[in-house]
Amino acid sequence: MIVVGVDIGNSTTEACVASVVEGRVEYAGTALTRTTGVKGTPDNTEGAVSAVRRALNGRTPDLVLLNEATPVISGLAMETISETIITESTMIGHNPATPGGSGIGVGTTVSIDALASATGPTIAVVPAGWDFDDVAHEITSSGADVVAAVLAHDDAVLVCNRLRTPIPVVDEVGAVEKVPLGMLAAVEVAPPGRTIRTLSDSYGLASVFGLDPDQTRQVSPVARALTGNRSAVVVRTPSGDVTDRRIPVGTLTLTGAGKTQRVDVDAGAEEIMATLARVQPLDDATGEPGTHVGGMLAQVRDTMTDVTGQPAAEIRIRDVLAVDTVVPNEVRGGLAGEVALENAVALAAMVRTSRSRMQVVADQVAEALGCRAEIGGIEGEMAVRGALTTPGTAIPIAVLDLGGGSTDAALLTSEGSSAVHVARAGELVTKLIDSELALDDREQAEAVKRYPLAKVESFFHVRHEDGTVQFFAEPLPSHVFARVVTMTPEGPAPVQTRHTVDHVRRVRREAKRKVFAVNALRALRQVAPQGSLRLLDFVVLLGGSALDFEIPELIADALAPHGVVCGIGNVHGTEGPRNAVASGLVDAWVSR
Amino acid sequence: MTTTEGRRSKRTEILEARPVNLDGFVEEWPEKGLVAMESDFDPTPSVRVEDGRIVELDGRARADFDFMDTFIADHALDVETAEEVNAIPSIEIARMLVDPRATRDEVIAVGRGLTPAKILDVVKLMNVVEIMMAMQKMRARRTPANQAHSTSAKDNPIQVAADAAEGALRGFAELETTLGVVRYAPLVAIALQVGGQVGRGGVLTQCALEEATELELGMRGITAYAETISVYGTESVFVDGDDTPWSKTFLAGAYASRGIKMRFTSGTGSEVQMGNAEGRSMLYLEIRCILMAKGAGVQGLQNGSISCIGVPGAVPGGIRAVAAENLIASWMDLECASGNDQSFSHSSMRRVSRALPQLLPGTDFVCSGYSGVPNADNMFAGSNFDVEDYDDWNTIQRDLQVDGGLRHVREPEILQVREKAARALQAVFAELDLPPITDAEVEAAVYAHGSGDYPDRDVLEDLKGAQAVMDRGVTGLDLVKALERTGFHEVAENLLTVLRQRVSGDLLQTSAILTDDFVPLSAINDANDYGGPGSGYRLEGERWEQLKKLRHVTSAENPETEVS
Amino acid sequence: MTAPAAERSLTLEEVGQAQRGSRPDEVVIAVSPAFADPFTKTIVEVPHAEVIRQILAGIEEQGVHARMIKVWDTADLAAVAHIGARLSGSGISVGLLSRGTTMIHQRDLPRLSNLELFPQSPLLDAEVFRLIGSNAAQYAKGESPAPVPTRNDQMARPRWQAKAALLHLKEYECIVAGRRPVEVEPVISRLS
Repeated sequence: MIVVGVDIGNSTTEACVASVVEGRVEYAGTALTRTTGVKGTPDNTEGAVSAVRRALNGRTPDLVLLNEATPVISGLAMETISETIITESTMIGHNPATPGGSGIGVGTTVSIDALASATGPTIAVVPAGWDFDDVAHEITSSGADVVAAVLAHDDAVLVCNRLRTPIPVVDEVGAVEKVPLGMLAAVEVAPPGRTIRTLSDSYGLASVFGLDPDQTRQVSPVARALTGNRSAVVVRTPSGDVTDRRIPVGTLTLTGAGKTQRVDVDAGAEEIMATLARVQPLDDATGEPGTHVGGMLAQVRDTMTDVTGQPAAEIRIRDVLAVDTVVPNEVRGGLAGEVALENAVALAAMVRTSRSRMQVVADQVAEALGCRAEIGGIEGEMAVRGALTTPGTAIPIAVLDLGGGSTDAALLTSEGSSAVHVARAGELVTKLIDSELALDDREQAEAVKRYPLAKVESFFHVRHEDGTVQFFAEPLPSHVFARVVTMTPEGPAPVQTRHTVDHVRRVRREAKRKVFAVNALRALRQVAPQGSLRLLDFVVLLGGSALDFEIPELIADALAPHGVVCGIGNVHGTEGPRNAVASGLVDAWVSR
Repeated sequence: MTTTEGRRSKRTEILEARPVNLDGFVEEWPEKGLVAMESDFDPTPSVRVEDGRIVELDGRARADFDFMDTFIADHALDVETAEEVNAIPSIEIARMLVDPRATRDEVIAVGRGLTPAKILDVVKLMNVVEIMMAMQKMRARRTPANQAHSTSAKDNPIQVAADAAEGALRGFAELETTLGVVRYAPLVAIALQVGGQVGRGGVLTQCALEEATELELGMRGITAYAETISVYGTESVFVDGDDTPWSKTFLAGAYASRGIKMRFTSGTGSEVQMGNAEGRSMLYLEIRCILMAKGAGVQGLQNGSISCIGVPGAVPGGIRAVAAENLIASWMDLECASGNDQSFSHSSMRRVSRALPQLLPGTDFVCSGYSGVPNADNMFAGSNFDVEDYDDWNTIQRDLQVDGGLRHVREPEILQVREKAARALQAVFAELDLPPITDAEVEAAVYAHGSGDYPDRDVLEDLKGAQAVMDRGVTGLDLVKALERTGFHEVAENLLTVLRQRVSGDLLQTSAILTDDFVPLSAINDANDYGGPGSGYRLEGERWEQLKKLRHVTSAENPETEVS
Repeated sequence: MTAPAAERSLTLEEVGQAQRGSRPDEVVIAVSPAFADPFTKTIVEVPHAEVIRQILAGIEEQGVHARMIKVWDTADLAAVAHIGARLSGSGISVGLLSRGTTMIHQRDLPRLSNLELFPQSPLLDAEVFRLIGSNAAQYAKGESPAPVPTRNDQMARPRWQAKAALLHLKEYECIVAGRRPVEVEPVISRLS
């Protein structure tokens, strides 16, 4: 008879056709389609029927086996937990690309149209609207002792080239009208490829401005903030400084194992995950109203209510995953659009319900196809069975199903099986990449996640992220010239960033590691005998993300110290990491 | 009289600030071709035939022909009659055009053998009123019609569908779309096709793209016709676009092989704009384009300067020349989609006056096209008219008792078809496994004006879906099946009937459109029989009653109310 | 606060036949036959002196060198720019027509392609020319600048289409067929 196993996942529905004759199974075909509706609801029927029809390719089915899919709703929120504030416009640290001159100039800030009456060492402050030729002329002919300059326009090199002797010049200061005038200030510019030494050093600042120990301590955050810059301006204001403020973003309440614990979201991911570990297995999580996290947690609950009809009060958040990240944000009080990397916490949450409406799906599928349909079994167990068809595997075996809605771990030993689900990872990685590179473009962030990087060095060659060079017979399109690109199947796609390939690569791998590797270990620990990873022998990776070009290796690396054999599943030796559950369903039924 | 230096007239200031003074006007430069139609540098008409071949055309011997001359001489001109008709005094031919008692067939018989310079010679004798008189008789299809653009600044398919439905309801016979992001084309073309069939039955749709992709969409039945296949009046400009008259004709043949309607596009001003008018006037070069189209065997032409309208619009008599080029296309027995489709002036008065030579006599398509979306959403860089002009247009029709192809429709009807179009598209997308359209988007579509009134879509997912349409080989029949399966029987039937036309080939006839009842209306069965007062197409009867309706008309029965 | 805009004139002094450059840190500015003489300003009356001054400033600010050539035998922007790119040591050029239409080109690109194109001459002002120079210099250095933002104006056609055609025709008249490109020294003098 013809038996079809159907795995309804969060994103994809997979079908596997087998012909069963006297207990012998011959696999005949597979198909994949997008899941219709939320997994575990009657809306799935359409996708299931479509996948089955495609896999059958004309044959008539006798029995369809569906997995016990329960709806999973995932949510993702990000909270920025720090902010940088400059007070009294006391420093300028935006590090423009083309400052002028080099060295340090200390003097009194004077507007360029008042230079003629300036006395002593002077720093010329030039507003918008002044032409660079006129600026140079004014500085040269005013008779003032101009030791440095601060400009609104991108004219530092131009002005410097027109002076008799070069002076340090910082330009592209958008809000130059806020630079305090008539105050002692210092401008420092380092030669190309180098960084400033004086204004980024607390004692340097003390020397320049004649500060006492208390004042030095007060001004040291400024020095810290300017470290690594090629240019900087510091104005000695009465009490100006730069502070790094923590932003309170409410608390997260985690309940589980009979306890309730509260943790401040702005304490960071490590603190949140440590708190979570103390209440494992998680019973529920809530956030504070009015915060992003609180709103997200409330929303996933509401969505689940809409989908299942279960009252909100009965819905439980079963897992959260917090990850530390950075978000480039404009500094408050900055004069030149300075951007600082602020700390942020990204939180993914997952809510499940035990209420399954799969029987309705089974009935509808049976009607549509004109055959019997049964609920075959629990995903985790089925996944393991399917994974066992990978050559080289044996019981005891653990699987990590890196799917669209959640990461599932399951263990099959000679005594039986157990399974666990943790929050979704793929979307979180994309979000981290998007925010840390300030791409503000999900499409590009997705591409960075999925495909290796390269730098287009000429129209005929790119240098891949591994350093190798690839030549092209036809010239590359003009919009990728000189850009960092992702090598997509459709060709190189530009990444809108000024960062180097190395930097983008680092961000990508870190994001995947922070999410997938950490999450994998978390899940496996929950199914491992006695919670010890060392007691797992074989781990098989399944699901869409197992096809990613580096996630499997990152997970394998994380597991290696525990002596675990980890690799990508190859269901039936032909399907790769896909179709495990669908095949597992058939398998399980046959062996009944 | 004293001169007051420095003090300005208040009136001058007001006039300076008028929108018309933002338009661009230039002096003529006939040597370079920057002149509408009156140029001493245009050739003198001449033709010589030897052994059934044209060996001299407008002062050039065959040995000196460029490829336009060759193509026209070998394929456009009727060799049998050429010498004879070119000998008829131009004034006689001009009078034939204007005189209602000379039939269309008679005039066409003469026109068939005329050289470009001779044709120019004839129309130069006609003022704009006479050109309009001639247009009335010479257009191919008796019933005038209109064409609209339906596009979106965000390439939002729901907007395109909803506006297509409204446009179809208001009366447009053809709908045209194009893209900001080319990869979106399959979804937007589907939206235009589906939306277009909801407003009323029988609307034909096109998607303006790079030639090969446009042909593929047409072959699949996702679009119904093509228009933006461009031809130019000098060899140098034609070649600059990487084409020849033969390559364009081949492309026309490809469409014809599938029963797909198509027309070429040309227009005064393109050659001089590109710096290569070879010293000829704009109209002279346009006449060459018209004859080239004729020789290629295509059924029709979009002309009336089109995207170069700013050029004839800037010289004296330019709009007269534009009226003349539409007339000549019709005179050559081609369907004419007569421009009025590109932003042309800051002045509302000028926008209307430019369109009168087409609107008043009627052409096959008075606009090619009218913007069926706000101009800010018009991806053809703005049209001469847009949705905000609907009521003015309908009023002008009523004022002058002319049929410009549109009618006033009341809001409830419009909302209904917009919703139906959005729902139909929602169903089709779901059936075809394309990124879903939410109920919120459908709701927005019903009441929206421009793209800002719709929720943003997930462009990444849409583009993947668009690629899937191409990869999976989705055709017009798949759209029909999807509509049928989801309960949109009427729309499915409409679309199927439109697709069937390519088997019957009726849409290959000159000026073919479909009525609400899917009856093909073309130069064959709706021949223009204008022969003076009391003949030809008249706005009367039921159609006139329809066009009398406006948004606010005080009731005669009860002056305290309005006609409902 | 703002100094009044100075009036300047531009003279292009011929130095000799344009040669291919060897230094990799140069941008070639290639202008069309009528540039600076007989035309002296763009379609929206930005003086050519200011156009060149700003492009040169953009290049100089990036620490890159500039060289100017005048192309005589064509008024096709892509051709002018591409000739410049092929002579440029870095392979990068800025091409200009007298009415202001501009593009940044690269020597390995097909002639009808470009790195950045500025097709609506009425929308180009001094600030944009400065950014164009800056971007060209950054390309020459192997950096990847964000493309200069382009504006779009729907009513540009009614206003400028014919004047652009006229200016184009005039420029065409200044073509000297067969004459090789010439290297020129831009002399910008202040008049006020």
